Amino acid sequence: MEERNRCGILSRMGPGGNVRIDVERSILQSADEAAVAIRALLAGRKIYAINLISSPGSGKTTLIEALLARFEGKGGVAVVEGDIETEIDAERIRKHGVQVRQINTRSSCHIQPSRLLSVLREMDLSETRLLLVENVGNLVCPAEVSLGEDARVVLLSVTEGDEKPLKYPLVFKTSDLLVITKTDLLPYVTFDVERVRRAARAANPAVEIFEVSATTGAGMSALLDRIEALRATKR
Amino acid sequence: MHELGIANEILDAALSEADRHAAKKVTSIRLRVGVLRAIEPENLSFLFEHLARGTPADGARLEIVEEPIRVDCPECGLSEAHAFTFECPRCHGPNVSVTGGDALSILSLEIED
Repeated sequence: MEERNRCGILSRMGPGGNVRIDVERSILQSADEAAVAIRALLAGRKIYAINLISSPGSGKTTLIEALLARFEGKGGVAVVEGDIETEIDAERIRKHGVQVRQINTRSSCHIQPSRLLSVLREMDLSETRLLLVENVGNLVCPAEVSLGEDARVVLLSVTEGDEKPLKYPLVFKTSDLLVITKTDLLPYVTFDVERVRRAARAANPAVEIFEVSATTGAGMSALLDRIEALRATKR
Repeated sequence: MHELGIANEILDAALSEADRHAAKKVTSIRLRVGVLRAIEPENLSFLFEHLARGTPADGARLEIVEEPIRVDCPECGLSEAHAFTFECPRCHGPNVSVTGGDALSILSLEIED
């Protein structure tokens, strides 16, 4: 015996037995609420936020360092580093003389928006125009959770293989920029750049794709110019 | 192990709904999960079972309704549920767009009142 009511609140399944409640509720609701709060905090201060996602060792921290060099003297950059353990990345960034906070996520494989929100509330963001958030290194969990960012940047190094967009489609679907890194190593690895471009475009037709090598500097200025231009859009 | 956080959110949501309806026990939870979420049902159920111990959702069954990806091709007009792909499964055109497959929600709960 089952009775569905139109609002879907209660349905009697049997006398004195079970009742079905129709809920239709997002599982990530509390995370989404924290992301909305972050977005509001950033909007009020006109801070442009970038969420950097990649496998471990693809070059997130290196890209942050290149951005710090680009903005040196112009000021206004703050960094939040996410890692399961250690302050290694924060110490590396601190040497550049910018405000940096480390989030150690311990058992969690990504930065939780509620955690980022409380860190941002502790930081002095009065001079900040650009916030760089380095997520925990993996292509799965960080993709699932919005941190209220303005742009999501996924990095893929050529040593990881060109099948990554097919294996981890969500992160490529939700990213605004795809940065293919370590292109100086292309002669030594099997990596079909065109294949990656096609797969990434299938996941997100609007994705902007950059090919860079921090070692040779190839492609870096185009990427940094683009990020500087994106930052300038938030006034 | 990314299922751990998700199992926790499911439990919180289920318990708050159960509380709202003054339920003694939650016996099953029906979920919609997109294939892009890369959730391993066995892993999710295992973690949920562990987290739910001693709560009104102790022993509740998780039923997962999978949400597929849709592939749309502007060249040949194909629009169908398909595995993630970067070319059209019919005409092999390179400009396909992939939609859906990212759902993550609770559809309904079964409770004992």
